[in-house]
Amino acid sequence: MSRLFFRSSTFATLAAASFLSFTAHAADVTVSDAYARAMPTAGLNSAAFMMLHNNSDESIELIGAQSDVAKHVELHTHTHVDGVMQMRKVDGITLPAKGMAMLKPGDNHVMLIDLNAPLAEGDQIELTLKWSDNTQQTLSVPVKFAMPGNMPKEMKHEHSMKKEAHVH
Amino acid sequence: MTKDALKPLQILVVLSIVLLALVGWFLYDDPKASPPKTNTLENLGGDFTLQSADGPVSLHDFKGKAVAIYIGYASCPDVCPTALAIMRQAFVNLPEAYQDRVHGIFISVDPERDTPEKLKTYTAFFSPKFTGLTGTKEEIDTVVDQYGAFYRMVKLENSNMGYAVDHSSRIYFISPDGQLMTTLSHTAPPKAVEDVLIKALQ
Repeated sequence: MSRLFFRSSTFATLAAASFLSFTAHAADVTVSDAYARAMPTAGLNSAAFMMLHNNSDESIELIGAQSDVAKHVELHTHTHVDGVMQMRKVDGITLPAKGMAMLKPGDNHVMLIDLNAPLAEGDQIELTLKWSDNTQQTLSVPVKFAMPGNMPKEMKHEHSMKKEAHVH
Repeated sequence: MTKDALKPLQILVVLSIVLLALVGWFLYDDPKASPPKTNTLENLGGDFTLQSADGPVSLHDFKGKAVAIYIGYASCPDVCPTALAIMRQAFVNLPEAYQDRVHGIFISVDPERDTPEKLKTYTAFFSPKFTGLTGTKEEIDTVVDQYGAFYRMVKLENSNMGYAVDHSSRIYFISPDGQLMTTLSHTAPPKAVEDVLIKALQ
């Protein structure tokens, strides 16, 4: 337990130190396995999930997202406290240097609030990611009927993932 | 130290214990302040009637079927669809003999945003065997208490969602004779859900 604490605090310190010293460029981030959850009607909410790999030696923060498919797009996270699921808005999701962030069901996600139209399986939606260095990255994201079985294999190894979200 | 000098200290200790006990009791008893208590299944469950887009629906309407119930809200983009997707997958995977003997119920605790019509569209998207139900806050709270569930509205600062609903996340399984059999988490594999349904119908 204390070793775990030591390791995570070391990690946090390193991440904080690198964040203070440098900022990576968005071009150094690779996005993989992105998808948005299919939803049957306008007015409902959906979410987009993906894996973000930071290839640079400096940390970077995802600070927002934008898409025409919904009235509002925000970064949210879920926490599971004593059997109660709590969803909260986050101001950013940090990718440590050479690290990654998982946006996955039950965890960090891009929240698509108040859909303008249904999201049907097979559709492609445009999603723009906004980074802490003021750069943007526009993705074409497939819409899927999200099933636990649909998730890429890597998403199932939860314990190997690092998550850094800042709730304010 | 004399006996007299000890007295104020003793009074202070006793008062502190009483105060702590009161705070503890308050925190434990206030449903808004504490997560759901661990209840034994025997004390939980039971019949209820709530509103669907096609009129009132009661649990006893599904007598003879195994019913899977999930309590959440339709604006929930993530955990609730995951639970419903797992339930759907389990229904689809069931041996054919059981296909017509199962039903899913999604109860929304967010009647302000979730009308019965919206819930009908939402649940039909997952399976034709799902019914979306809601009711007045009083009706919902009664069912939530009956099943040992938990929810609370939480204002989201600086979010266009306005408020989120924190909620317990369980799939409740009702036997063909209306008894709560067991519960599973929304993270359970579809096979586990399927196994419980088969057990209920055997």
